[in-house]
Formats: sequence, C-alpha cells, structure tokens
Amino acid sequence: MKLVVEEFYKSIAKDGEEVCGDNVEVIKQDDTTIIVLSDGLGSGIKANILSTLTSKIAIGLLNKNLPFEEIIATIIETLPICEVREIAYATLAVLKIDNKGKVQLIEMDTPSAFLLKNKEVISIKTNEIEIRGKKIRKAEFEMDRSDMIFLASDGVLHAGIGGLLDFGLGWEGVADHLEKVAKKKKELKYIINKMVGICQGYYFTEPGDDFTILGVKYRKTREVTILSGPPQNKDDDPKVIDKLMNSSGKKVINGGTTAQIAARELDEELETSFEYHDSDIPPVSYLKGVDLVTEGLLTLNKVLEFLDDYKQGQLLPEEEDGASQLIRLLLKSDQIKFLVGRAMNESHQSLNLPLELGIRSQIVDRIANYLKELNKKVSIEWF
Amino acid sequence: MPKKEVEICVGTPCHLMGAEELLNMVKDLPERYENNFKFKSSHCINDKCDMAPVVKIDGKVYGEQNPEKLRELLDNYLRDNI
Repeated sequence: MKLVVEEFYKSIAKDGEEVCGDNVEVIKQDDTTIIVLSDGLGSGIKANILSTLTSKIAIGLLNKNLPFEEIIATIIETLPICEVREIAYATLAVLKIDNKGKVQLIEMDTPSAFLLKNKEVISIKTNEIEIRGKKIRKAEFEMDRSDMIFLASDGVLHAGIGGLLDFGLGWEGVADHLEKVAKKKKELKYIINKMVGICQGYYFTEPGDDFTILGVKYRKTREVTILSGPPQNKDDDPKVIDKLMNSSGKKVINGGTTAQIAARELDEELETSFEYHDSDIPPVSYLKGVDLVTEGLLTLNKVLEFLDDYKQGQLLPEEEDGASQLIRLLLKSDQIKFLVGRAMNESHQSLNLPLELGIRSQIVDRIANYLKELNKKVSIEWF
Repeated sequence: MPKKEVEICVGTPCHLMGAEELLNMVKDLPERYENNFKFKSSHCINDKCDMAPVVKIDGKVYGEQNPEKLRELLDNYLRDNI
C-alpha cells in the first residue's frame, strides 16, 4: 500500500488584525513532505513579514537539502531588526516526513509538537543543540501509519488568556483537547477545525494572539489516470486502453471518440447521459470499469479555466457536469497520469475552432503544470 | 410495434451546434412520443460531424437539425410508420 503525507492547517489572526503573523509553508519532494511553521514577533503586518521571510527562507533551503545549521544562520542574518524591541525574531518549526515513516523535527522557540499515538497525545523526545547562540530542539523518530503529528504556534497554548483562563490552555490543555477531538473522528480537517473552534471559545472569539494549528498524517495515495484523445497510430488503440484499464486508482476517459474506441476494445456498451448539468459542457457517458467518461476539448478547457484561478484550499465545484467531476477527481488525487493521444480529430476540422481551444496537447500541458504547482505528482505519456 | 430508436449526438461539434436544444425539446415531448420512440444520446454518429448536430432515427442519419426540424421528422415517422 502506497502512502502519502496529508497535511491540514488553519491560521487565525489576532483580533483586530488584518493579517496573521504566523506563516506555514509546505513542499512535497519525491517521497518527502517538508512543512515549516513560523510565528513572527508581535502581530499584524510586521509579524507577518517576519514569519513569511523565515518560513520562505527555511523551506527554500530545505528544498535544496542544505544542512540545518546553515539554514538557521541564514535566517538569523536575514531577518530585519525590530526598531522597538531591537531584536529580529520569528519562531521556527520544521517537520520533514517521508512516506516510509521517517520523521525529522526541528524546533526553535516554538511549542513542542504533539504526537497522537493510540488515542493518546505524547510529547516527542528531543535533543537540544545550539546554533549561533540559539537553542534548537531536534528529534528523529518513526511515525506509525495511524499516528498524527500536530504543530501549534504559541497562540494556541495561550488560548484563554484575557478570556476564560488566567494562564491559557498550556501544552497539556491542548493535548487533552486533541485527544478528545480525535476520539470522535480521525480526520485532520475535522480535528483542526474543532481545535480552532475550541481556541476561539477560550478567547471569547477575540484572540489575543495570532494562532495556527497544523496536523499531519498518512493516508493511502489517491491515483487517477486520464486517457485523453485517440492515439495517433490506430494500432496503439489496444495498448493504450490496456494501459488505462490496468492502472491503479481511478480511471477517466476524456473525449467522445476516445470513449468509443475504449468501448470497442473492451467490448462494452457506451451509454451517454441525457442530462445537461451545464449548458457549456456536453453530458457525461458511462462505460463499465471507467469511473468517469467526459466529452473532450470543451471539458478540458473548462478544467483549465478553473485551475487558472484556483488557490489551494479553495472550495471545489459541487456540480455534476463532466468538467466539475473531473476537477474534483484531479484536485483530490496525489498522483495523476495523463495518457494523451495525438490523433488529429477529423470531427473538429469542420468547426474551425479557435486554435487555442483546439490543441489538446497544449491544454493538457497547462493543466499538468497547474497540478504540479499544487504539489501533485503528474506524468504525461504521449501516443 | 417495437419502439423506434432515436439517437441524438452530443459530441463536441454537435454540442457546439445546439445538441442541448434537441435534448430539451425531446424531453418536453408529450407522452405518446415516448410510447413510440426510444430516445438516447451518443458521442458520435457515423462520423457525420460536418453535418452537426446529427440525429439518427431508426438507423437513418439526419444532419443540421434544430428542434423544429427534429419534431417534424418525428411527426412524419409517427404518421408514416406507426
């Protein structure tokens, strides 16, 4: 079973501030996910700049696999110095997790991470080292498939100060709540949203500090293979269909002609829906063994149009037209494989479509690039 | 009397040339049409894309359709063949 690391986080700005002074950066390498959480000194735009600078430098250098000492040194040397307090300061937590269970944790002035193991939150054993006068906590350990790790900025531990509690929740208090929430549902989005609600509650919905809570866990890799367009060489038809049907994960056929080829090769009935969910997008079809069969070019263009404006975390379209269904499948998958046929579509020649709309390979290329930017593993095979 | 099959193409060219209007027209037809025809949609009909939108009635292909033309075709079938 192939596993990937899934992460989810929420940052809330201090009451009255426009921006949050905490910042999170995530990078996905081949088998490794690197997450950085930084909390800038103070709040508002100044804190935001400090934490963004810190986390961006850290993630950039981590991505190049530079030694940690150098990264810390660079950050300390780069941060602008606060005029009021005469220090340059932002906290830093780095979590590096590979898909086989190896975890590296580095913490600089940040609350200790929370490890949820068998319904219980435990603290992670760390070693203390010193880099350029800064005390850094470091840990390397193995994470089980069902474990979850949570990072929090100090605003989470302080929840309640100025509100319900004199000294805030504290590490133990946060751990207790994590245990209780995770007992109900072992789903990151649920746990994080609940925890944000709890903090807001203790703060009487007027947080006295920026706060961020972030969770990571393993889940099964979600894969999808999309066959789009008939192969240039008709002799390749059986091979390409075979490739699609033998791929692991979800299967999609994009294109009416392609769907007909698949139906012929598989000797199955291709059934086209009578339902127009969106006047711009022709109806989907049904073919045994394939999860989604859509029309070709217009659907692809609609997908591209959506991705043009898409920001990570944005809500996905809920409609049932082919393009919306394809968007949902693509954005929920970790590994996406395109099998693209390059045959000239005779049927489109009569239409005099605008050049831009008509070139399948270019559209697929652009969609693939967007998906890569969203940290997905994307491959394209041409036929 | 078996129902006659009416296939409406919703492939890209036919869609662009107004296939949705044909589907909508067919969906709104009185019940007697449904008693005599079996309506379905299709991805491509005999590669007649240059005649989009295309329908096939009882094996015969008709191109450049619009709701009025298709309704007339169906009416003719009802009159002549049933």
